[in-house]
Amino acid sequence: MSFRFPGSATLAILRAPAADRDAGDDRRDRLGENVVALFDQFRGPLLRYLSSLGLAFPDGEEIIQEVFLALYQHLCGGKSRENLRGWLFRVAHNLALRRRHRARRDSEGRAESGAELLAVDPGPSPEDRVLSNQTQQRLLAVVEALPEQDRRCLFLRAEGLRYREIAGILEMSLGAVSLSLTRSLARIARCAER
Amino acid sequence: MEGELSPREEKLIRSHLEECWKCRARRQELENAIAGFVRVHQREFEPKLPPVAGPRALLKAQLDQLSASEPQGLSNSLGRPHRFAWTLAAAACAILAFGLILEYSNHFLEYSNRSLPRAVIVSIPNPSLTPGATLLVNRRQVCSQTNANNKAVPVALQRRVFAEYGIVGAEPRAYEVDYLVTPALGGADDIHNLWPHSYSATVWNAEVKDALENRLRDMVCAGSLDLATAQQEIAGDWIAAYRKYFQTDQPLAEHCKDCIREDR
Repeated sequence: MSFRFPGSATLAILRAPAADRDAGDDRRDRLGENVVALFDQFRGPLLRYLSSLGLAFPDGEEIIQEVFLALYQHLCGGKSRENLRGWLFRVAHNLALRRRHRARRDSEGRAESGAELLAVDPGPSPEDRVLSNQTQQRLLAVVEALPEQDRRCLFLRAEGLRYREIAGILEMSLGAVSLSLTRSLARIARCAER
Repeated sequence: MEGELSPREEKLIRSHLEECWKCRARRQELENAIAGFVRVHQREFEPKLPPVAGPRALLKAQLDQLSASEPQGLSNSLGRPHRFAWTLAAAACAILAFGLILEYSNHFLEYSNRSLPRAVIVSIPNPSLTPGATLLVNRRQVCSQTNANNKAVPVALQRRVFAEYGIVGAEPRAYEVDYLVTPALGGADDIHNLWPHSYSATVWNAEVKDALENRLRDMVCAGSLDLATAQQEIAGDWIAAYRKYFQTDQPLAEHCKDCIREDR
């Protein structure tokens, strides 16, 4: 017995003969380049956001791969290019929730397993954190204590998404997003005053 | 006021703020809160983001394969019949991606004199001959494989590897034709992923590399290291990777009973 991955294709060095390339190949290449450029631009913000949802970086990286492959398919299909940033975050958010749900379900069925996604702390433990001052430590504690939906709004806003984009990603109303952010910032402001 | 209001609404609010100290002070508090949160957010996440090279290379390889399997005329369905002008995915980009991250020179490789067969001490593969090649698998597929043994490389393929490296008439037991990226981490049984790893009494032998492969696979399956980075680390400079992940300059004794320690 040895490692076998059925259905996978080997990466190889053969390339299509030049005569077989056509306008479709060139367009796909350009799309691929565009997707990689978007990956360079949004991989960091997406990874930070997925980490804020409780996913470890390796899981976040896998989800991001899926997101950008889906983006490639989306663009190849001639679908809308409007607000691709919002599209990326929405797809990543939904994939992350699905993975978290599956991980929780799997861990309930494998109580003795050590390989639980949610058991991996994506960030430093409280003991490992070294922040410059106590105010920032308190601020971090306040953020972590926020209700999950408020935390999601806050982190999406920190990545530069507009209220309308956040509302679309989290399936909230515009007003609810505004209230959530106001509430979160008020708590942070009270913490900073102490 | 964060660019979310209509121009008319924003004008009204600005006008109010000019007159209302209380609201202006409240606004300042919120601005300070935002600044504080952004500082913490940046400090918490920015230094910890893993390197982008591995994931970027993996994405490019997967895009190349998707592009190659698309029928003429763009399709958004993977279910359509594949267009095969050639049987394997265009992965020169994948090889290039691995080549881009291979930035070391081979300090240990000596090529044998063809007229005098002798053991050649090979600790690091030649990157132009063995850039590495992987299957497009994900972490779950890798970690669901329970058998930890790599499959034997066919004899004919082993001979091709020796021929590539100019090793003629070698004793079979002098070398392990090794996978650069182990199948345990998705490495392919392709000549671009195989090289003759000497069993001779060097410091950095196949046994030591096996220990690194096991460590990286454990980390990938525990979720503390992503698969693409693990593949990149082992393909780029496996000795540097061993030193990094075991935090030692020389192989640990438990990994290499017969190693000769380097003088450093």
